[in-house]
Order: sequence, then structure tokens, then C-alpha cells
Amino acid sequence: MWTIRKELRTPVVHPLAIYINAMPPTDIKRHIFWPLLGLGLLLIIAWGLAIGPFPAAGNLHLDVPIDALQGWVIANRLTHPLFLWFFDPLSNAIDFGLRSTEDFLLWLPWPVLMLAIFLLGQRGGGLRLALLATISLLFMGLLGLWTASLQTLALMSISVFICLIIGIPLGIFAARYPRLDTTLRPILDAMQTMPAFVYLIPVLLFFGIARVPSVVATVIYALPPAIRLTTLGIRHVPLAPIEAARSFGATRQQILWGIQLPLALPSIMAGVNQTIMMALGIVVIAAIIGAGGLGKEVLNALQRLKVGQGLEAGLAIVALAIILDRISYAFSRFDRRNIVQVGFRLLPRHLETFPPAQWLERGIDYLYRLGQWLTQSVTKSCLIFVKALHAPTADDLAPILQERGFWLISLIILTITLFISKYILQISQFPATWTISIRQPTDTAVVWMRDNLYQIGDWPIGTGPLSDFVTLYALNPLRDVLMTVPWPFLVMLTAWLAFLAAGKRLAVLSGLGIITLGLLGMWEQSMNTLSQVIVSVIFSLIIALPIGIMAAHNDTFEILIRLVLDFLQTIPIFVYLVPVIMLFNIGRVPGVIASIVYALPPAIRLTNLGLRQVDPGLIEAALAYGSTPAQTLWKVKFPLALPSIMLGINQTVMMVLATVITAGLVGGGGLGLEAINGLTRNQTGRGFEAGLAIVILAMIMDRLTQALAKS
Amino acid sequence: MAQSGHVVAVQDVSFEVRTGEIFVVMGLSGSGKSTLVRCISRLIEPTYGHILLKGQDLLAMNDKQLRDLRRHKISMVFQHFGLFPHRRIIDNVAYGLEIQGMDKATRHQRAHEVLKLVSLTGWENHYPGELSGGMQQRVGIARALAVDPEIMLFDEPFSALDPLIRREMQDELLNLQKLMHKTIVFITHDFLEAIKLGNHIAIMKDGALVQLGTPEQIVSQPVNDYVREFTKDVPRTKVITANSLMQPCPVVALAQDTVMQTCLRLAQTPDQVAFVVAENQQFKGMLSLAELQSAPPHSQLHTLIVPFQRFATTTTFLEQLIPLAVQTAAPIAVLNSEQQLRGFIDRTMIMLALGN
Repeated sequence: MWTIRKELRTPVVHPLAIYINAMPPTDIKRHIFWPLLGLGLLLIIAWGLAIGPFPAAGNLHLDVPIDALQGWVIANRLTHPLFLWFFDPLSNAIDFGLRSTEDFLLWLPWPVLMLAIFLLGQRGGGLRLALLATISLLFMGLLGLWTASLQTLALMSISVFICLIIGIPLGIFAARYPRLDTTLRPILDAMQTMPAFVYLIPVLLFFGIARVPSVVATVIYALPPAIRLTTLGIRHVPLAPIEAARSFGATRQQILWGIQLPLALPSIMAGVNQTIMMALGIVVIAAIIGAGGLGKEVLNALQRLKVGQGLEAGLAIVALAIILDRISYAFSRFDRRNIVQVGFRLLPRHLETFPPAQWLERGIDYLYRLGQWLTQSVTKSCLIFVKALHAPTADDLAPILQERGFWLISLIILTITLFISKYILQISQFPATWTISIRQPTDTAVVWMRDNLYQIGDWPIGTGPLSDFVTLYALNPLRDVLMTVPWPFLVMLTAWLAFLAAGKRLAVLSGLGIITLGLLGMWEQSMNTLSQVIVSVIFSLIIALPIGIMAAHNDTFEILIRLVLDFLQTIPIFVYLVPVIMLFNIGRVPGVIASIVYALPPAIRLTNLGLRQVDPGLIEAALAYGSTPAQTLWKVKFPLALPSIMLGINQTVMMVLATVITAGLVGGGGLGLEAINGLTRNQTGRGFEAGLAIVILAMIMDRLTQALAKS
Repeated sequence: MAQSGHVVAVQDVSFEVRTGEIFVVMGLSGSGKSTLVRCISRLIEPTYGHILLKGQDLLAMNDKQLRDLRRHKISMVFQHFGLFPHRRIIDNVAYGLEIQGMDKATRHQRAHEVLKLVSLTGWENHYPGELSGGMQQRVGIARALAVDPEIMLFDEPFSALDPLIRREMQDELLNLQKLMHKTIVFITHDFLEAIKLGNHIAIMKDGALVQLGTPEQIVSQPVNDYVREFTKDVPRTKVITANSLMQPCPVVALAQDTVMQTCLRLAQTPDQVAFVVAENQQFKGMLSLAELQSAPPHSQLHTLIVPFQRFATTTTFLEQLIPLAVQTAAPIAVLNSEQQLRGFIDRTMIMLALGN
């Protein structure tokens, strides 16, 4: 879900075609004709010299020192002071934090937690958000996953807390020292693209206490946005207030604490939101190294091929994501001037003339007034009480309570509820008898699909034949071509594309990057993965573009598709891997399908967004000249929406790459398999090499598509 | 270098600001005026030159001295207000005092006083975003006043406001200045604003000084076409004073002189009117040739003078001279603040001035 907001940055874009069109003839010769001729010659010469894929002799064997380091860690784990005096105490502290948080959440009676979520939602975004969050929490309880959900919530809280105490100060320093920022950038990129499988074992070795490794892995994965958005927020504070503060003789510290940080708060809160969503995205993988909770439920279901159980846990994760995302997002946009809401609080405004809706809203209005009256009277009596003790304190307190009265009254209500439910009604766990279950119908549906869709009738139609078709006619040929093409040719081709998109610097870096794939001994695996990525991206776009165009022209369809996309982006990929395997066999195709499913949302969203943002004046002009709807779409809207669509392609490529790696779990082969082998067969060095190769591939593709989108 | 004025030099620009005056720097965008004003408090570090405040060079100050200077002596009002959106009005105004380390009660009390000066009492607990542009700039001015600086720097403070509010704020600034007598450096791109507010005006172009003078000097004697372009739009009647229009009176008679003597002197000139003064140059009145001829030849002039006479002072603007000239064809005497006769103005001169 975190990607949704990332997409909203829409840079100005030119596709390659426009770039070529814009070039004067001599430049076309220099940049297109001669390089193409050179590449052709290179290909012929390389074939003549029988140069094929990158030679195995070129492998630098980076895995040897890494494995040696791992061996050293295992040997000294119990004796070396580094562990005794640094990692062990640190792990113990994290373990203590996690345990206490979890115990506290489980100790709380469930009505208190629900009320707390309701009040948070109410404060952040009004009644609608409050109800949405409460119902989501209730849903998690009804699925019978109350305890698991709270365990995950505890894991989230501790991980996000650690991310923030590391990320915010680092972000502040990076904003102040540009050199730190430029150093951090590639590291953060690598942290976000490196598959978690690669560092699970090292994390386990360094922090091997109970569930601490899963916290650390989550922190590694979720830290980047906390740093990035803090830096961004501080950098984007308007200059005027800072100059004003300087003109009054404020010191740098006074400016940082008094002006920059408060004004960067919305951006920092957006960072918190993204950090939470990232952390939630890795919850299943974290379960591999011992995290409990919902991730473990999904993993268990996956291992036992219980689709229904997995779906339930997946839905609970979606519900948790909705709660955390919407509430943290609401607070990141929190505007103290908009607290007072008037009129319809719950129902859509167009029901205003409908009497039952009016009665309901009137009732809600009375409740609000009651709440306001209660808040005011409690605040007042509190002030009177303090005044009796110490008058000046009361004067200082008055404006604070005026603004924060809501929190005071919330605290009081929560305490009262706690006492009543804990000590009078003696409630704590969510009642086990309140359940809804969708296991049975889901499992039935999956079995039906396996029996009826795998092969329809006797014809070669159905998911099975489709899978074979994609493997035989798309994946295999492409992989074979990429694997046999002379490696210098591929290096030069990438460099040339990068040069056309962004110039010399990127050309050199991309070329070197491709060579590094060979040096890591990952040439074959990289080409395999690349072929899967290319096929997935093409299929994603073939599906996404028409849907995006439809969504842009139909509001109802847009709302529907938006719900589906939110769901697809939040539900862990592991939940639908099982049914996909049942339908498409073990192999590379399920990975391709899973990555298409995962990568569709940004492509659809950005196509829709791009088309909708086209200036209505231009469309009007096209219509005034008598364009048909199709002409308007192809000649006016599409070219103007291209920047946004190109950005969608960039996002699609990145998401496909991330997912194809995960698909190594289900026979995807390539780099993903190597990364997972690193974990399951304890080949950390090899896994690390695969991880590096993935990071390199990701960076080249990201920079290339972004440059194409911006050039 | 005036005793407590200071001299600013930027790109061959030198000028002097006197204590308690409004010194306007006027120029179009890119003329370097905003840079100039930031150089004064070293928000932008000048690479070369001197900025003297009471003889002390601000450029020689170390960080701590500079901070003290900004905290106590110089404060600034910004074009886009530069208010802190996350602080209440009262805390915005008290900001300068807060970073000086003043305790909360004292600084809030001072902030209340200043807010009253700019008529914003009652808005203390609002946030800047809730105020109109004009009100926000009042807060900006209040914030600058709160630290009780010797010098206030205004960087195009009213440019972002709409014309009606702008005029209102200009009048208010003039009123405030009557009370406070701060030394003000005021930056603007609006020539009319410069004319209205400035005691002295420096006109800048491309980082260099084009002309320096009082509003009247600039309007009546623009040094080149660049300045003349600006003066075209100026309502001259509001800038030109009797002082620059008047001419010396050709026939000045003493009150003790006789009608005969005066008639003889008038007969030698083409003029029709004699200006009568006392021994100490105090203006007594005017007598036309016709009045003199119908009077007894040996009577003294003071017996003939009608006590009330129309007159102007040296600071009377052209726009106030016009109604005087409408009432009669006779010349108008121009007096200084001690009621002494300095010269005269007639219809022809007014018409020439208007026609220029």
C-alpha cells in the first residue's frame, strides 16, 4: 500500500520516440546509427570468437569470505566480547521490549483496545475512519485471530519504534550534511531491493534470541522511508520562516527544534506511515525466522497447503493494514483547523434529503454534543482543581487543555472501561464463540477451480495448457536468447540504452553493473530472472493499460477497481501462491502470475491517474474539431498521460522484480532460488551474491525506466 | 556619517541612513534591493565593504556578536510575512523574545502590548493561517517591534497585499512611526509607496545606485530617463511643495513704509502687488497697486492691511495650492514655519508645474 503514495509524484516524461524525433539528423547518426552498427559488428565478432555467456572463470567468488565470516561468527558466538557485550544485551533489550508490548496488549481487555482504536480514528479522521478501524479490529477477532493479530501488532510497534529512533535522527543529519545524504542513498536503495531471505541467516546469527531476529529483519526492510521522508521533510520546509528565525538571531539548534522539525512533521508522519506499511509487508517472511502472529499463520497454512486458513490470516493482515495505514495517514495530514466537522459525519452527503439518513445523523450530532459538553466540563473541573493547588500552573495549562481536551477525556474513559471490564466483568480475551469463518467455502472453491479450470474439457484450454504455453513460447525462448547472447554485446546494449535515456554516467554505471553480475557468478541466474521479469512486465502492461483506460472513463468502475487494487497490494503474496500453484503447476509460471497480480495496481492506477489529469481544455479543443472518442484518446489523452504511464511502468518493473524473487519459493529458479537457497541450505555467501545481483538489476532497471520517464 | 546612522555599501553603493527616518530603497526585481537589505543584518554575507552602525563595522562581528545584534538591535519584516505557521499569534510575536531567553509571562505581556499597537488584540490564540494577509503582516510588524529594535528592515512588506489593504497598511506604518521613531530601511518596488513613506529614497538598478534624494528632489529633478519613467506616474501635486515652486518676492515693503514710497517702487517693476513684512521678516500681508493708489499717499502700510490673508507654507503640497489659486488671481505668499516670508507663487507657476 505504501507504493500508492509514492506514485503520486508525477514527473514530466518523454518516451524514447519523442527523444529521437527531437534530435537533429547528425545526432541521430551519432547516437542511433553508429552505435547500432557497432553493436551489430560486436555481435558478429563475438560469435566469430565463440564468446557466449559470461565465463565461469570470471567468478570472483565473493561467497568465500562471506562464508568465512559466518564461520567465524558461529565459532565465536558464545565467547567473543562483541557478542557478549554488544549484540546480546541489544537483543535482550529488544526481546524485553517485544515481550512487554505483547504482554500488555494481550493483558488489555478487548473492549478497551477497540475503544482506543475508535477514539484514535475519531481524532484523526472523524467518525467514518473510527468505524472503519473498529470494524476491521472486530473482524480480526471474529476470524479467531485476536491473539495472533496482537502479536503482529506488538512486532510492528517495536520494529517501527526502532525504525523511528534510528531513522529520524539519521534523517535529520542527512538533511544537514548533504554528503551523508549522498552516501546513504545507495545504501537505502539496496536495503529496499535486497531480498530479505539473504539477510535472514546473518541476522539470526547476530541476534539469535527468540523473536529478536524477526524484529531486526523488519527494521532493515522498513527503515528507509523513515530516513528518506525525514530528510525530505526538513529539506522542504519553506525558506521564509527559517530566514525569519535567523533574522531574529536564532541559533541552528533553535531553528531545528523550533521551526524545521515542527514544520517537517507531516512529512515525518508520512514516513511513519510508509514504515508501518513496509513492516507489515515483510510480516510473513519475518515469520520464517521466528516471528509469531499472523505471518506465522500464513506460513503454516502455506506449508500445509490450506488455502482457506491462509486467506483468513491474509485478510486479518489486510484489516491490520487498513487500521494502521488509515490512522497513521490521517495523522500525517492532521490539520488542527479542520477538527470541527459540520453536517453529515457518517453517511455520504448526497443522502442529505433522505429522512432516515437525517434522523441517524441527528442522533450522531447529539452524541457529538454530549461528547463536547463532557470534554469541556471535565477540562474545566480539572483546571479548577489545579488552580486550587497552584494558580500559575493552571494558567499555563489552560491553553494546552483547550487543545488537548480530547486526549484527557479519552484517557479517563479508557481507564474507566479498563476497570469495569477487567475487574468487574472480568473480560480479557476476545470471546472464542464469536466467529465467522470462510475456510470451508474457500477450500471448496479452490478444489473446484483445480478440478474444472486446470483443463477445460478435452481441448487445450485452461490454466494448465496456458502455463505450458507461456513456458514454451515466452519464457524459454527469451531465457535461451539471453543466456546465449555474447556477454560483451549485452553490456554494450545496456550501456547504449542507458546513454540514450540519461547520458554517459548512467551508461558507464549500467555497463559496469551488468559485468558485475558475471563477476558475482550469477550471470545465468540473472538472465533467467531477467527473462521472467520481461515476460511479466509485458503481460502486466497488456492487462493493466486497458483496465486503466476503462477506469479513467467510468467513475463507478474506478471505485470498484480501487478497492480490488488496495486489497491486492496488501494481501501477502504467500496467500495466493498456493492456489496459483494448484492451477499453474510448480515452475516459473506461478511466479510470473503472482508478480503480475502484485504489479498490476501501480500500472492501472497511474494509467488512470495520467488520463484523468489531462487538461479538460485540451479535450474540449479536440472535441470542438470533431474528434471521435477514440481519436481523442489516442491523439490527445494518451500522449499527454504518457509521463504518468511511464512512471507506472517503472513501478511495475520494480514490483515484478521483487515478486519474481519471492517466487523462487515455488520453483521460479534464477536469482530468487539462489537467495532462498542461501536461507534454506545455509549458503549465506551464495545467497548474498544473488542478493547483490538482484540489487544491481533492480537499480539498473529503476534508473533506466526513471530516466526514460524524465529525460 | 551621522552619529547613530549607518552606512551601507553594496556594489559601489554607499548611503547613509539617519536615526529615526524611513529610508526607502526602491528598485525593480533583480535590482539587488533585497540582497542589499539582507546584507545589513548579514543574512547574506557581503563579500566586500563596510556596514557601520554607530561607527561599529557589522562585518567585523563574530557569530555571537552578530546573534546579539539580530536579537536586540535589528529586526526584519518580510515580503511573504515569514510567520511560523505552527505557532499561535502570541508565540509568533514573542519569538524574538523567546530566543533571547525571556521567561514566558514577561514575553507574553510584551507581545500583548505590541499586538495592541497593531490593533490585533483578541487574536492571540489563533494561528497565522486563520488571518487575512493584511492581518498576517501586522503580526509580522508586531513581531519585529516586540524586541524593541533600533533599526527595522522592511523587505517589500506590503507587496503581497491587495491595493486597498496596502494603502491602509502604509498609513498605519506612518502612524506607528510617529509614535516609535525607529530607524527604518524599507524596500519596495512600488515608486508611489517609496514617495509616500520615504524621508529619503535610493533608487537602484542592476545593483547600482541610480539616484538618492528626498521624494521631492527625485520627482522634480530625475537624474536620467530611467528615473523619469517612474516619476511619470507620480501624482506631482502630492509630491511637489511650495518650497520648490516659489520665487523670491520682487517688491517687499516694510510695514512702516508709506504708500507713496511703495507705489514708486511698484511703478519701476511690472508687478502689481507689494508684500509687506515687519522688521523681523514676519509676514504682514499683501497690497495691490490698485489698493495703494486709492489710499492716502502718506499713510503707513500697516494701517491699510487687512488682517487675514491667504498664504502657503514651504511644506504645502501643490494639491493644496490649487484651491488657493482658484479663489483669486493674486499671488500667494509662501512662509516658513516662523511665519517669515520666503517667496511667492502665482497661477502661472502652478500651471507650469502641473504641465511638466
